[in-house]
Amino acid sequence: MSKAEFAIIGTGEVPCGIYPERSEFEIAYTAAKLAIKDAGIDKNEIGAILGAAHIMGSEYNTELFFGRLPEAIGAKGCKITAATISGGASSFSIRKTAEGILHSGKTDTVLVIHAQRFSQFSTNEQVKYFATAGSDAEWDVPYGMTYNSLAAMMTQAYMTSTGTTIRQVASVCVALRKWANLQPNAMFYKKPLTVEEVLNSRMVAYPLTAYMCNVLADGGCAYIMTTVEKAKKVCDKPVYILGEGSGYSHRSITAAKIRDLGKMYEFYAPIAKEAYEEAGLGPEDMDIFEIYGAYPVGQLMIMDSLGFVEPGKSGALVEAGETSPGGKYPVSTNGEALSFGHTGTGVGFAIFVESVRQLQGKAGKAQVPGAKFLIENCAGGAYMDMHFTVMGNEIPSQL
Amino acid sequence: MDKETIKQKFNLTDEDLKKPLPVPQKWSKPFWEGAKQHKLLLKKCQDCGHIDHPPYLYCTNCMSENSKWIEASGRATLYAYCVNEYGVPFYFMPDLPYVVALVDLDEGPRMISNIVECDPKELKNGMKLEVVFDDVSPEVTLPKWRPVKE
Repeated sequence: MSKAEFAIIGTGEVPCGIYPERSEFEIAYTAAKLAIKDAGIDKNEIGAILGAAHIMGSEYNTELFFGRLPEAIGAKGCKITAATISGGASSFSIRKTAEGILHSGKTDTVLVIHAQRFSQFSTNEQVKYFATAGSDAEWDVPYGMTYNSLAAMMTQAYMTSTGTTIRQVASVCVALRKWANLQPNAMFYKKPLTVEEVLNSRMVAYPLTAYMCNVLADGGCAYIMTTVEKAKKVCDKPVYILGEGSGYSHRSITAAKIRDLGKMYEFYAPIAKEAYEEAGLGPEDMDIFEIYGAYPVGQLMIMDSLGFVEPGKSGALVEAGETSPGGKYPVSTNGEALSFGHTGTGVGFAIFVESVRQLQGKAGKAQVPGAKFLIENCAGGAYMDMHFTVMGNEIPSQL
Repeated sequence: MDKETIKQKFNLTDEDLKKPLPVPQKWSKPFWEGAKQHKLLLKKCQDCGHIDHPPYLYCTNCMSENSKWIEASGRATLYAYCVNEYGVPFYFMPDLPYVVALVDLDEGPRMISNIVECDPKELKNGMKLEVVFDDVSPEVTLPKWRPVKE
């Protein structure tokens, strides 16, 4: 049975894509204003403002550390401001920080912000950064490993272990694109994609073609988190945090807890189970699966773990269209990193904000009718960890 | 593309094309000194027998600092691989295409390395590999792997 303590009452988001003239500050301030407006609260009610720091540094990081956000937003009641980061898992660690602050009772309203502008860096700077950040400087980088190499090796291992075909891997990109085509803020909004186009795009790191790899983008979002008590008073449709599960595996993929990379569900599934159990719900209760897998193989490995498909058969399910709009198991309804846009640590934030929108019935054309419960995740590093969260617009124990 | 073409095309200097080399930590130095002598060394705990690769300050199993560097057999199995063809930093462009792989040593640890001296199309997960030493600079040698000829 869930003992929900925290709820989200509003979100804000800016379009994701390549917008070189839009600074991180503009993104942050805009997303914050939208979230405050959406929540219907006064900005001076906010007692804490948390920002996600960047893994690829910029002036924004420094200003975050020096407390720019509360001043610029004009949050006169702000008592605490901080930057939180754990790479791709930041959307989880920042939320835990928010929960800790709310739990202390010093404030009942926290604003969380993510803003990113990758277009300020040259292509080579980005390639170089993601070659060195995803890989170990001493043991991986000298061998010419990149982030794409990591995902490519995992894909190759996963395909060999499970019998998943490259066509099924490509169909993950297509399913995500179909969702993005319903999302006006997505980088690839109104840009349809076919399996043939994915398979015929330039080979980047065999077996991964260009459309199976991510394009770094500019974007950002924000949300307002409060206690369940306050949420019920000020919001028509709060979204409750019902259950969570976390696990850490490794820094380098060579030290992963699971040796057979086709069976990552052996690590992920118990974590998802913890989240389900804490919520008092199961996979059969989920209306949506908001997965952050970054690459197609990540999507498949996580689907394998969530209890709605037999492990190793996720590729077939995606190929059959069951995770696409109108399918039986909606997965990643904003199009995720591959089609919404890869904003670094922001992918997890975007998935979280989309989760809230879906449960508030504000997801527009991508709305899954009557969505009540969902499970979402984020993960960081070189697939270093996993965090699952079950959310709902009802608290199961009160049904 | 060769080095000169890449330099002209992207307006680069020789410095831009210098490959990053491993900078050993205090606790990993013996590995790289061994590689220089064409020996593949692994850090083995003398208290619990655990082998750590990558090595750390102390045994990640029992925290003992009582360790010994043992020479590995140089035999391994290919676990998984990819072939980099595009989207690598400038300094790896002259090497394209090249194979990055997860290699399972007979002694247990898994390593990231390159598979060399073979056509990538002939690679197969589970195939037997043997170590080769690539002297990439006067100071640094990288252990790499090639398929064992049947």
